[in-house]
Amino acid sequence: MAHFHIENLTFSYPGSAVPTLDGVSLDIEKGEFLLLCGRSGSGKTTLLRQLKPALAPYGKRQGEIFFDGKPIGELTSREQAEKIGFVMQDPQEQIVTDKVWHELAFGLENLGCDPAVMRLRVAEMASFFGIQDWFHREVAELSGGQKQLLNLASVMAMQPEVLILDEPTSQLDPISAGDFLNTLKKINRELGTTIVITEHRTEDIFPAADRVAVMEAGRLTFLGSPREVGLALRRSESPLFSALPAPVRVYYAVNKEGRCPLTVREGRAWLSEEFPQGAKENALTEPACREPDGEAALVIKECWLRYTRTGPDVLRGLSMRVPRGSLFAILGGNGTGKSTALRAVCGSVKAYRGSIEILGKRQRDYRPGELFNGCLSMLPQDPRSLFVKETVLEDLQEMGADQTALEETAARCRITELLLANPADLSGGELQRAALAKVLLRKPKLLLLDEPTKGMDSIFKAEFAAILGSLCREGVTVVMVSHDVEFCAEYAGIVGLFFDGQLITTGTPQTLFGSNSFYTTAVSRMSRHVFRNVVTAEQAAALIKRNREEAL
Amino acid sequence: MTHDAFSRCHPAVNFLFFVAAIGCGMVIQHPAYILAGVVCGGVYFCLLSGRRGFARIGMLLPLPILTAVLNPLINHRGKAVLFLVMGKPYTLEALCYGLALGGIFLVMLLWFGCYSAVLTSDKFTSLFGSLIPSLSLLLVMVLRLIPAFTRKTKQVLDARRAIGMGAEQTGSLRQKLRSGMTVLSALTSWALEGSIITADSMRSRGYGCGKRTSFRLYRMTGRDWVLLILIGGLFSLVILAGGTDASYTPVMKAAPLGWGFPAYCALLLIPTIFELKEAAAWHISISKI
Repeated sequence: MAHFHIENLTFSYPGSAVPTLDGVSLDIEKGEFLLLCGRSGSGKTTLLRQLKPALAPYGKRQGEIFFDGKPIGELTSREQAEKIGFVMQDPQEQIVTDKVWHELAFGLENLGCDPAVMRLRVAEMASFFGIQDWFHREVAELSGGQKQLLNLASVMAMQPEVLILDEPTSQLDPISAGDFLNTLKKINRELGTTIVITEHRTEDIFPAADRVAVMEAGRLTFLGSPREVGLALRRSESPLFSALPAPVRVYYAVNKEGRCPLTVREGRAWLSEEFPQGAKENALTEPACREPDGEAALVIKECWLRYTRTGPDVLRGLSMRVPRGSLFAILGGNGTGKSTALRAVCGSVKAYRGSIEILGKRQRDYRPGELFNGCLSMLPQDPRSLFVKETVLEDLQEMGADQTALEETAARCRITELLLANPADLSGGELQRAALAKVLLRKPKLLLLDEPTKGMDSIFKAEFAAILGSLCREGVTVVMVSHDVEFCAEYAGIVGLFFDGQLITTGTPQTLFGSNSFYTTAVSRMSRHVFRNVVTAEQAAALIKRNREEAL
Repeated sequence: MTHDAFSRCHPAVNFLFFVAAIGCGMVIQHPAYILAGVVCGGVYFCLLSGRRGFARIGMLLPLPILTAVLNPLINHRGKAVLFLVMGKPYTLEALCYGLALGGIFLVMLLWFGCYSAVLTSDKFTSLFGSLIPSLSLLLVMVLRLIPAFTRKTKQVLDARRAIGMGAEQTGSLRQKLRSGMTVLSALTSWALEGSIITADSMRSRGYGCGKRTSFRLYRMTGRDWVLLILIGGLFSLVILAGGTDASYTPVMKAAPLGWGFPAYCALLLIPTIFELKEAAAWHISISKI
């Protein structure tokens, strides 16, 4: 018997003419790992919430859902809490209590669990998830990754049969996200818990899934093993193809059919087979780096900064030079001081040594207010913090620009149809573009972005990159801090690697990632034994094609 | 987070001690008892907060002197007139009474300082969680909201500053006020959105589906029972033995000290002795290694 049996499910929100779910039929087996893919707004979240009665949205529903052979409506609130675990997107707001131990125990307390049993279950979960070291900590002190792991652990403490996760890693950096997804795999493998997950970051999770379901506009369009779905998306030339892991994309860019590699390891094996004697042409010609001694938009010299007098230095002699009109990406791990560098440029924190020169003028020579009016603007890590009004339009009007400028900017950021929406209702990618529009109304010449691609799906990323590209061509300098290696490799002009409070090295994505062996893109890791400086799927595909043509 | 031996005892022990110490300290006006309170409270406060404790106590010491000097200006009762201030007598009795009041105030401040370091919010809620479950959960959630709200406020203000919409960058006072109101209303609606997610999370984890139990982080050990009985015993001895009466105006008189006073001192010294005992045990066990 299937764990979940969904039969011809149609659902529409009140007041909406178009159904959000349209005739979805799906069987989810016991112990299965099911990945649900689709663009934002395709109905993934709505479908997931239908599987958890306590969270099912209000609206018109047709069709049936059976859980363990029983209509899901007949589950008591206690049964649904015990058997179906649900982890949401936002790591922060899901947490109910103020202490880690209390959060772990919260679900069990609700079920009226016996104190002795509760003690054991909490101890078990803390050990399984490696939480024992921060068991007594305040929730507010935890990092985003730790918070999300805590959410998972506190759901798992109730020993659910099914675990449903709605984009659980979209707010996390890649390393925490990787840890989180590995924990999920462990839960599925070692405890046999059924897992249903939606996720933008498919690189890790796609190969691990038993089956992948693809949703488009409320319909289930493809369902099958990861390889079958990869091939089906390729055949239908769906825009979702760009969300697949790099090995799949490279493979299908050069082959029409066949069994594609899913992981970097399989990708390497495939390339070795393809080029047994090594590739004849093993490198791409590199585009010239933007003239390094051209005019600079931002120059930082020997900056030292710490937050408290006796605390550690966060910036340790940071020096960098950003040429005008470039898209400059700063990459680096958590806590290396990347975001602090941006805040120092904004003047929110002051360096105690060193100088910062913005657009040829020293930072301290700017009059208050002058710096942020047409010179410098920053898009913060959480774009939600820029919105203070009821609608996006009111928020844009707050910036004091005239109507034509407002409309132009909205069109440029592709948010014209979102103007009347409440900022709270926008998806991650939409919110980021709306925030960009708000920032651009100040007409900055130097734009700082802090983790702009967080929570965006691959299609949104491409659109966002196109906007940034057009800004750069107009002479705006963009400096972005990011964890997103793939995005930077694909779109940045110059990348710098940040470590230990300094910019260790800068270069074009090709030279920098081409020479890194660990901190680099999946394509580079997959192809480095045959190609020298290939970092994106397009580059790899182009080079493979060229080699094949030569062989003919 | 303090790590002294007494804080590691069961919260019920901590709570009973502070009820006894603060209760007695607030009611008893006998000068010897006040002095004992200042000394014992001060010593324990210093043990808890280390070097900073001395500085804080130094800052608090002028307080009884101030009340002593000021009290005779309002209270003119008493026989021993020292001098006249604006035609009103400035009496020794009122001076002493002011000193005593200041001492009581000082004792309160010291014990409450210790209380907040020892009986943290989670100990308090775990103590009363089983008595008033919904109220203690509410308290816990509020405690989580406050840091979240301050963090968001800072985030919004920083974000607005970096796009040239900060409070100091907008022109007139009226504009500043308006901008402040906008930020406040935005923060409120943001917090409400967050609370919808929190409510979902609570429901999905079975909140409200039956009788709740609470997780006990602390266990009562034999040592905790001994301490509990000791504190309870000494507390009742202080109350029953009497000898705590004292009055200052119009005539100064204090009851002779009886058995209650050593019991009071012993009660107040429990945390200090406990800490010193553990420190000694620790040193001895280290010196043996």
